[in-house]
Amino acid sequence: MMAGGLFSQLSVLGSSLALVFGLFVLWRRSLGAYVSAFAWQSGVVAGVAAMVAHFSGDHALYLVAALVFGIKAIAIPRLLTVMGRRFGGDRESHPYVNTEASVLSAAVLVLVAYSVTRPVVALSQLPTRGAIPLAMGLTFVSLFVVISRKKALTQIIGFLMLENSIALLAVLCTYGIPLIVEIGVFLDALMGFLVMQVFVYRIHETFESLDVEQLRHLKH
Amino acid sequence: MNAGGAEIWLRILLVAFPIGAVAALVVRGALGRAIVAAAAAVGSAAGFALAAMVLGWGEPVRGSFAFPLAPLVFRLDPLGAFFLVVTAIVGFAASLYSFGYGAGSPWRVLRTTGVNLNLLLLGLSLQVMADSPLTFLLVWELMSLAAYFLVLAEPDEPGAVNAATWYFGVTHAGFAALFAMFFLWSGGALTASFVELRAVPLDGALRDAVFLLALVGFGTKAGIIPLHIWLPRAHPVAPSHASALMSGVVLKMGVYGLVRVTFDLLGSGPAWWGMLVLALGTVSALLGVLYALMQHDLKRLLAYHSIENIGIIFMGLGAALLFRTYDLPLLSALALAAALYHTLNHACFKALLFLGAGAVVRATHTRNIEELGGLIRRMPRTAFAFLIGSAAISTLPPLNGFASEWLLFQSLLGGARIPAQSVAVLMPVGVGLLALSSGLAAACFVKAFGITFLAIPRSPHAEAAEEAPRSMQAGMFLLVAACVGLGLGPAFVVPLLGRLIARLPGLEPAIGLHAANGALTGLPDGLGQMSPPAVALGLVAVAVVVAVVLRALAPPFRLRRGATWGCGRLLQTPRMQYTATSFAEPLRRVFAQLYRPTEDLTVEVHPDSEYFVRAIRYESRVHPWVERLLYQPLLAMVRGAGRRVRQMQAGSVHLYLAYMCAALVVLLFVARWLP
Amino acid sequence: MTSWLVELGQSTAALLMAPALVGLIRWLKARLQNRCGAPIWQPYFELHKLFAKEAVVSTNASWLFRAAPYVVFTSTVAITLVVPLMLVPLPFDGFADLLVVVYLLLLGTFFTALAGLDPGSPFGGMGSSRGMTVAALAEPTVAVAIFALASGAGSTNLGHIASRLIASPMAALTPGHLLAFASLFIVMLAEAGRLPIDNPATHLELTMIHEAMVLEYSGRYLALVEWASAVKLLIFFCLLANLFVPWGIATTVSAPALVLAAAALVIKLGMLCVAVAVLETRVAKLRLFRVPELLSVSFVLALLAVTSSFVLR
Repeated sequence: MMAGGLFSQLSVLGSSLALVFGLFVLWRRSLGAYVSAFAWQSGVVAGVAAMVAHFSGDHALYLVAALVFGIKAIAIPRLLTVMGRRFGGDRESHPYVNTEASVLSAAVLVLVAYSVTRPVVALSQLPTRGAIPLAMGLTFVSLFVVISRKKALTQIIGFLMLENSIALLAVLCTYGIPLIVEIGVFLDALMGFLVMQVFVYRIHETFESLDVEQLRHLKH
Repeated sequence: MNAGGAEIWLRILLVAFPIGAVAALVVRGALGRAIVAAAAAVGSAAGFALAAMVLGWGEPVRGSFAFPLAPLVFRLDPLGAFFLVVTAIVGFAASLYSFGYGAGSPWRVLRTTGVNLNLLLLGLSLQVMADSPLTFLLVWELMSLAAYFLVLAEPDEPGAVNAATWYFGVTHAGFAALFAMFFLWSGGALTASFVELRAVPLDGALRDAVFLLALVGFGTKAGIIPLHIWLPRAHPVAPSHASALMSGVVLKMGVYGLVRVTFDLLGSGPAWWGMLVLALGTVSALLGVLYALMQHDLKRLLAYHSIENIGIIFMGLGAALLFRTYDLPLLSALALAAALYHTLNHACFKALLFLGAGAVVRATHTRNIEELGGLIRRMPRTAFAFLIGSAAISTLPPLNGFASEWLLFQSLLGGARIPAQSVAVLMPVGVGLLALSSGLAAACFVKAFGITFLAIPRSPHAEAAEEAPRSMQAGMFLLVAACVGLGLGPAFVVPLLGRLIARLPGLEPAIGLHAANGALTGLPDGLGQMSPPAVALGLVAVAVVVAVVLRALAPPFRLRRGATWGCGRLLQTPRMQYTATSFAEPLRRVFAQLYRPTEDLTVEVHPDSEYFVRAIRYESRVHPWVERLLYQPLLAMVRGAGRRVRQMQAGSVHLYLAYMCAALVVLLFVARWLP
Repeated sequence: MTSWLVELGQSTAALLMAPALVGLIRWLKARLQNRCGAPIWQPYFELHKLFAKEAVVSTNASWLFRAAPYVVFTSTVAITLVVPLMLVPLPFDGFADLLVVVYLLLLGTFFTALAGLDPGSPFGGMGSSRGMTVAALAEPTVAVAIFALASGAGSTNLGHIASRLIASPMAALTPGHLLAFASLFIVMLAEAGRLPIDNPATHLELTMIHEAMVLEYSGRYLALVEWASAVKLLIFFCLLANLFVPWGIATTVSAPALVLAAAALVIKLGMLCVAVAVLETRVAKLRLFRVPELLSVSFVLALLAVTSSFVLR
């Protein structure tokens, strides 16, 4: 039972850390901070996957953890930094919702996530069930980042965090999904990311800025 | 066990106030003021003695008066006696104060104030004794009218008539809600006593309707947001001892009514009752203190703080209702005790602050803080009393504001025991917002006290200020003693509250609220413990030790007076000091989305060159948007309805005759066709 | 009786140790910034000097200005009597709990802010205004963190919380605990006036909060105020150390246990000093209007701490 207690504590700890890194994106304003928050968060998700692999004995999850770490904690942040340098690294100085309100809304969203996942947590027998509301909360917070921020690069990071949260939820709820599905989801996210990269390049070329609101000027 | 003793005090009370009212109309000059003040003081003292007797032996006292048209029934039980204590303490202090305050006022102001002060005190004392809906409503109306005339006592005050009109309107809207509630409840039998009302079985929808009507009716009197619109207008324009009474006691009659109806008469209800009251309380606490921060009218600042503290009391009431729904009677009793204790404490320190503000306004003829300053040297005793009041309202230990807020915190902390998780999760949010409101209150009172009393006077008015007369000081220092005493004595007050709450249905375990040897226990099985006398003693002991050690070990103390250093400036004028607006500016920025301040900047340049500025005019206003959102549409609707009704009164006699004929015909038809 | 003596002894020791804490942080920062730095005992020399100097009081200031340093010093020292330093449970534990500690600190801030307004200097007014803003905005975080600690331990009394944690060590690793620690760490930076919220080493108008409030003080008054702020820092460090990592605290009054407790306390305080020194060297001071953002983040962390401990019940 001690191991079970330690397992659930560690899973809740990992999910809390991932959520805190999500909050970080709502607090800070510079792209560099966002990229490092995302990288650390991916590292934490990889860590949680590895931990679940250790405690549940499912060694395929080690591979998933390595994939997450390699792609999302190292490769994609590097790509994002390059993009940021090329497009001038805009600061998110006037988001739609100001910082204090964003942070407090994130708290409300986490409370909503708690009440939404209450039936799941009550019914589940898994030791990781305490962490499910936090992963759900991270999903909501990532969506909030996508909605409330103006710059395209921030929205991309929000989308990537959303993907992180889904991976985290999958690992916590079902101890991982079959490897084929996991790889499929990764490729999907990677394709989405590459397409968005092309779009960001186009937006910057047309408007000289990455403010997504400028797209309004395209309509006549 | 002497009912006769209680009778005597009741008779004194019923005789003293009318004597004071009559004397105010008849006797002029200092003698008149003295008689009015003495009568009000004697009546308040009698009320205190009566309440003490009832609280002491714990049994209610009855009486009735057979008026020609309506029998009035009275019954004073310990709950009512507690509120009578509140009335008595504030009434006594305000009466003493009124003697000195009235010196120099014109005769008509003195007359109105004297009559209505006594009538208001009479009404407040009788309100808690009312035992049937009819009695309750009649005394309520007496109280409201007396307060209305007090608001109008100084009609030359700017905004007085507007304030009185708002007060009249909102109070009578509340009266209508209360009338509807009692009517629904008793099925039309308004002369039934409360004991009979308690036994009336009400089913789900009717109970909810009664609860909502009670909340609206008593909420208008208590000044909870969004029914608070009259409070910041009415309290500043009344004479200061009347403001003290209104803020200290009249608002509490709303609390009394709500406690009486929901805890005593109505019985347990669904969870949304408690959550609604808790939510309204939290919103009022926060918005009240946030708007108070932006005020620079001293008395309006205090009025907004009353809204904040009523919000805190309602938070306690809401928590108590919630705990009762979830079958946690001890926690419910704790929350209710915290709310009642805060009622008493707020009455004391708010009345003290209003009396102090009145002394300041009387000495400097302005309510605007921005024109004051340096009064601590010109009015030292008033400043000291105001400082104690400020420290009490900022919930600083070991004064009374802290004692009741600590109890409230402990009861909210117990919210972790609520089984329904989605409700339990709201408790920490409530705790956080309560702490935020008390922190903001401290910031606001640093501003109020610091700008008014400290540093250099900002205007000739402030330079010419003189200390208040001794009667005013007496009133203030009585309340200072009450604040300190209530802060150090929760070990006495909390068991008393426990006994009186235990009489309420469903809260019998409240007897368990005891205090162990000077300490203030949260719950008998320990949720937290603290002892204000020990804290005070510790502070004093440490101070003494520090002083002794410094005297013994440190080099001899030398002091020299010089100009303010200010990093090496040479000049100091009053204009260089911080103003109230600039003090509150960081908080205004932080909460800008809530305040939505409007700013107007006009820069007038020299006609020949735009680089030379001739004049700059900056105007900034914080207009409470609650009023804009809720009340302006309401007012527009009322005005529109009034216009349409006016069209019916065309002025033609034939039209009026036609109306009368039509009404007669319709009545005949109805009488014919109804069974 | 012996526990009373230990209590008074540890309180005096705390009082005497507080300036060394400030000196250690300054020395570490200097070393990290490639300077030699003043010795760790420098604050003691400063206090000694200040007590001997003549105090100059503004002609505009009233009795409140002269009384405020004593009020602040007394209230801060009184708090050391109830904070768990070396021995748990304390004899004074039933007299004051965590809420009393928080509001006694607010008492000190209240009087310091009033004393800032008294001489009529605009610097003082500015310091009071900013100081009260930060204090007010830090209050909700502290209250919710207290909620998190108290609901775990079943009481708000400090000795209780520490004892409960010693009895069940695994509770220290719960995410609720760690999040509460993080949020209280941010509050400590705010209340004790350290970077990134306030710079204790500056006297530039744009950057000072606490220093602005006490700008007009000199001589004995300044000594008392500086000492009181050092003791406040020590109190926060002790709360962070002994409410979250209480191992090493003596539970019985015996010489070896107390010596071990003293050593453990010194080690924990040292580690916190290193953490604060590294943080202060690493970050820049936040603009005043960015401070509420940081405090709202700490509030959300505290709220997460409470909700996660609810779900794990």
